[in-house]
Amino acid sequence: MKIETAPFSRRALSLGALSGAALAGSGQGARAQAGGTVNFIGWSAAVDQVRAHITAFERATGVRVNYENFPWAQFRTALVTRLVGNAPIDVSWVSDAWLPEFAEAGWLAEINDLPQLMRYNAEAAEYCTQSMTYRGKQYGLSYYGDHMSFMYNTDMLARAGIAAPPTTWDEVVEQSLRMKQRGIAEFPLLLSLAADSWLIEFVSALTFAFGGRFVDEQGVPVMADANRGAVRAARFLREAIHTHRVLSPGAVETGEINGLRAFGSGAHAFAIVPTYRIRALNDPTQATAAGKIRITLMPKGGPNGTNDTCGWIRFYGMTPGAKADRARRERAVRFMEFFGGRDTAGNYSMQKMLLTDIGLPSCALPLALDPDVVNFWERWAGGGAIIAQQSTLARKKDVISPWFGEWVETSNQAWQTVCLGRAEPEAAMRTAAAKWTELRRAFR
Amino acid sequence: MLAALHRRFGYDERSAALLVFPVVAVLLVVAAFPILYSFWVSLHDIVLTRPLRRPFVGFDNYLRVFDDQRFWVAVARTTIYTVVTVAVTTLLAMLVALLLNENFPGNRLLQALLLVPWATPSVVNGLMWKWIYDPTYGLLNALLLKLGLIEKYRVWLGDPDLTLLLIANAAIWKQMPLAALLIIVTMKAIPDDLYRAAKVDGAGVFQRFLHVTLPALRPGLMLVLVYETMISIRHFDLFLIMTQGGPGDASFTLSWLIYVETFRSLRFGTGAAMSYILAITTFVLSWAVIRFLGRRI
Repeated sequence: MKIETAPFSRRALSLGALSGAALAGSGQGARAQAGGTVNFIGWSAAVDQVRAHITAFERATGVRVNYENFPWAQFRTALVTRLVGNAPIDVSWVSDAWLPEFAEAGWLAEINDLPQLMRYNAEAAEYCTQSMTYRGKQYGLSYYGDHMSFMYNTDMLARAGIAAPPTTWDEVVEQSLRMKQRGIAEFPLLLSLAADSWLIEFVSALTFAFGGRFVDEQGVPVMADANRGAVRAARFLREAIHTHRVLSPGAVETGEINGLRAFGSGAHAFAIVPTYRIRALNDPTQATAAGKIRITLMPKGGPNGTNDTCGWIRFYGMTPGAKADRARRERAVRFMEFFGGRDTAGNYSMQKMLLTDIGLPSCALPLALDPDVVNFWERWAGGGAIIAQQSTLARKKDVISPWFGEWVETSNQAWQTVCLGRAEPEAAMRTAAAKWTELRRAFR
Repeated sequence: MLAALHRRFGYDERSAALLVFPVVAVLLVVAAFPILYSFWVSLHDIVLTRPLRRPFVGFDNYLRVFDDQRFWVAVARTTIYTVVTVAVTTLLAMLVALLLNENFPGNRLLQALLLVPWATPSVVNGLMWKWIYDPTYGLLNALLLKLGLIEKYRVWLGDPDLTLLLIANAAIWKQMPLAALLIIVTMKAIPDDLYRAAKVDGAGVFQRFLHVTLPALRPGLMLVLVYETMISIRHFDLFLIMTQGGPGDASFTLSWLIYVETFRSLRFGTGAAMSYILAITTFVLSWAVIRFLGRRI
C-alpha cells in the first residue's frame, strides 16, 4: 500500500456523518436512487476521505457510488482481472506507471473529447497532465501528484556541528561520516531498497540526481551507459553500503513504510522519502523525530548532477465501457470532476482534503495559494517553498511503457544485487537493459 | 441402453453411483475443470495486459520456461530449501518423538505445547520470524548481543548467504510438530515384545533404535517425507511475507517465480506451464519416496 489509510480523521468522518444525515433527512436517498450509479474502484488509501466525499457527491448530484477498494500491493492484479472479466467498472484509480499497458489493452478511455474534464489542464501542473497522456491522448484527471524529497534531521545535523544540509551526494557521505565518527548514528543515510513497488521510484530519483536516465527519448535503454545511465547512481549505492558504510546493508530488506518508521524514530539523519510523508514525520503522535524533519533540494550527484527528482501521479481513469454508454459516461464525468477537479460549489474540495488531512500534494495549481494549504506546509514542513521548487524539478519515470510491469521485476533484482555487492553496477544495469530490449522487441 | 446398464449393474451398484454422483459432479467442477483449463492455458501465450491476442503456442511455453535463466536459479533455490527443510524437520521430529515416547512427568503438557507452532497461522509465523530477524529491533540480535555472541546488531534476512536457511528455519519451526506427531503415532504402534526380544539378544539402546525402531517407523517416515517434500517444494507464504524473493534473487524459489510470472507480469500462459512443471515434479518426487520406502515396509 502506497498510502496509509489516514489515522482517525474527525473532519472526514464528521463530513460523512453530516452528509449522511442530510441525505436521510432531505429524502435525497430516493433522488440518489433515481440518478443512477457510478462503480468506482480504488486502493485502500484515504478511505475515510473518499467515503466522506462520496457522501457529499451523492448528496450534491443524486448519483449513487459503489465503492470498492483493495490493498495497493494487489490492486493492479485485482483491477486487471476485473477489466479482463468485463466487470462493470466506470472509474478507477490508476497509477501513471500502468497507463501505457492499460491504454494499449483498451482498458482506459481517452478524455480529449470531454471538455468538462479537459478544462482542468489549464489549472494543473504540467508534469501531471503529461503523466496522464500517452501517445497524445489524455486518459484521466489527477487524484494526486507527488515526488521524492530529500529529507534531513535538523537535530542530528546540529549535534554534528553541521550548519547546512548537503547539496551534493558527496556532501551527504562527508556529513554522514562525521556523524558516524561522533557516534550520532551508525547509518546516517536511510534508503528503502526492498524489492517492492517503491524501489523504481527511489532509484529513479537517485539516477536523475546523478544526471542519468534509464532510457532515451526514443525508448532505447541507456541505463548501462557509464556516463548518462544509471551506473553512477548504482555505484554510489554500493559504495555507501560497502565502502563508506553510511547506509545499512539492511536497506535491501527495508520497505518504504519501515523506512519511514526508522527515519521517524530519529535513528537516521538523511533519507529519500515521498513528500507526502512529511506530515507523518513531523507529527509527534506518529514520530519521535517530529518537528526536526525538514526538506531540502535533492542533492546533486557526480559531474553531471542535477537537483531533479522522480515524480509520479495517480489519477481517475474512465473505462471504455462507461464512456460508450451515454448515461454512464455522464455520471462518470461528474464523478471524476467532483473528485479530480472542482466540486459543484467550484472548490477543489477533495484535493484540499487529501492534502490537509494526510498530506497528499495536489496537481491543482490554484490550491497552492489557498491559505489553509499554505498554513499546512508551514506547520508540517516549515514552509512550502522548497517543496514547490522541487516539484518543478520532478520528472516522471522514463521507463513507463507497456512492458514496465514485467521489466521492473528484473530491474529491482539488478539494483538489489548491486546493493548486496554481488554484481558490478555496469553488469547489473546491462542485465536490466537487456531485459528492456527483449520486452520492447516482443511488444512490437 | 438403459436396459443394458440395468442388466450389467445391480441395484446396489446403481444406488451407489447415484449417491456419489453429487460429490463427483462437484469435484469435476471445482477440481477437474480448473486442472484441465489451466493445462489449456499453459498451451496459449496469454498475457492479461494484451487481451486481444492469445495465440495457441503448443508446448512453446514449457520450452520458454526451460530456457529462462530465472527458472534454473529458482530450481536451485527450491532444491536447497526443500532438502534443508525436509531433512532438518524429519531429524528434529524423530528426536522429539523419541523424547515424547518416554514416560516422564510433564509429557502430556509438552505434547500440548508442541502443537502451538503448528497451530499458528502461516502468515503470523512469517511475520513473527521476520520481526525476530529484523536488523534494527529483532529479538535474535538482542539475544545474541546479550549472550556476547555478536558485537553489534547485524543484518539477517538481508544477507543472501543466510536468507534461505533463515526462511527454512521458520518453516521447520512450524512444520516439525506435525511431523513429530505423525512419527509418535507410528512409534506407539511398535510392539514392546520386539524391544524385549532385542534386549534378550543383548542389543543396546542404539542397536534397538537402529534395528527395531527405525525399520518399524518406515510408514510414518514415508508419510512425513512425502508430506514435507510436497509442502516445502511449493512453499510460498513465508517467501511472500519475509523476503519477496529477495534480497536480489537469494530466495527466488519456484513458487515465487510462478507468482511473479502469473500475478505480477500477468503472463498466465508461462505461469500455468511453470505450475504444471512444479506439480509434476512434486508428484514424481512423492512417487519416488513412496516407491523407495514402500518397498521396504
